[in-house]
Amino acid sequence: MRCFAALLVVGFALSGVSGAQAYHRFWATCNEDAPTFMTTMTRDAAQDYANAARYEGYQWGGGCWNYDDADSYPNDPPQVLGTHGEGGDCSGLTFKTWRESTDTWRDGRYYWRALRNVHGPYDAAAFRDGGGAPNHTVAKVTAGVMDAFASGTHIGMIFTRSLYGGDQIVEAKCEACGTNIFYRTYRGDSAYGGVGRWGWTG
Amino acid sequence: MLAALAAALAAAGCEHAAARPARLVDGRPAAQFTPLRGSVIASGRVLTRGELGSGLDECLFTGDRDAVATDAPVVERVGVDAESLTVASRDGSGVYACDGGFDPAGERSPPWCHAVFGVREHGRLLDPRLDVLCRDRRRQPLAYAFVEPVPGARWIGVLQRGYTELYEVLAALPVRVASTSGVDRENARAAFEIRQYDAAGRELVRENLEAAVAG
Repeated sequence: MRCFAALLVVGFALSGVSGAQAYHRFWATCNEDAPTFMTTMTRDAAQDYANAARYEGYQWGGGCWNYDDADSYPNDPPQVLGTHGEGGDCSGLTFKTWRESTDTWRDGRYYWRALRNVHGPYDAAAFRDGGGAPNHTVAKVTAGVMDAFASGTHIGMIFTRSLYGGDQIVEAKCEACGTNIFYRTYRGDSAYGGVGRWGWTG
Repeated sequence: MLAALAAALAAAGCEHAAARPARLVDGRPAAQFTPLRGSVIASGRVLTRGELGSGLDECLFTGDRDAVATDAPVVERVGVDAESLTVASRDGSGVYACDGGFDPAGERSPPWCHAVFGVREHGRLLDPRLDVLCRDRRRQPLAYAFVEPVPGARWIGVLQRGYTELYEVLAALPVRVASTSGVDRENARAAFEIRQYDAAGRELVRENLEAAVAG
């Protein structure tokens, strides 16, 4: 009985352990699968892909999510890579939605599944500058559906164009706000430039 | 036979001295910091934006140029494989870096292949702003990252293949370091073995910086 009580105490103590293993969580369900090379890439399909990532959370430096419409690990500390939570960050979501390669000189179309943990080599500033073979800058006034607006620290894709000068932007915004579609006025913000993806087929 | 020779050299403590590069990327002789055997000092100097001429403007995004004061101190660094510029924004909200090298997509001409902006909160960078977009002159992947010096640090050391590259702490700015070792291009990550030393060469910090492209 004494032994049982001791083991019970130890068991309770261990059940309360959090710490290191708590930060290796969602990424354990992700994979390293190769992308599928595609010959087509439509703006409609890109809208669908980004739309499906809504509500799946935000992870700094991340690019892996499921499709259960919930952030499996919400409220992580912001801008900490090691939290390994669900969701992409702004540039990771754009990279996957735009079907880009991890090789910046390749401009082909690479379909990444949601649970493939990949961020891609571009940060928001690289997208803004049109860096990499698949990307190019566009005039903000002509930026259309599934083009993007990027600053030195953030990028969001145009889901639909809105009245009154703003746009509905699909973006992975922050830990607290997750990935969603928001009304934004990036088009009129001098910190943001227009950026597009070469190679749409429809 | 070669393995035996290498082992013999390593046992004799020759592995660092044998691989120490003689020149920096711009052809200048590579100086050594005497207290640290096998070290290479990356050239570093502080200029104003005006003294640099068009150098900074060629690399910064058009919309960011006004965010840097004309008299802002700019740290220019030239290392063994890499070169960079670092400058703080006018309002202190962050730090810009221009990273040198070849753009494998061929869209930007050397010396600069990418510019990054690191956000600061309470005077410290939120993340190291890893950049893996550039290649060195041998077209090997090159990784850049910021390192925040600890109080008392005068030199930031990066362990390279066979030598330690030293970057002087200048203008109270984070130090932009570079390496061709430990670059995981596929996963947009890099690992740096960092040492921080005081002015006399005493080691203050030893850490592995594991960075990823983000944001």
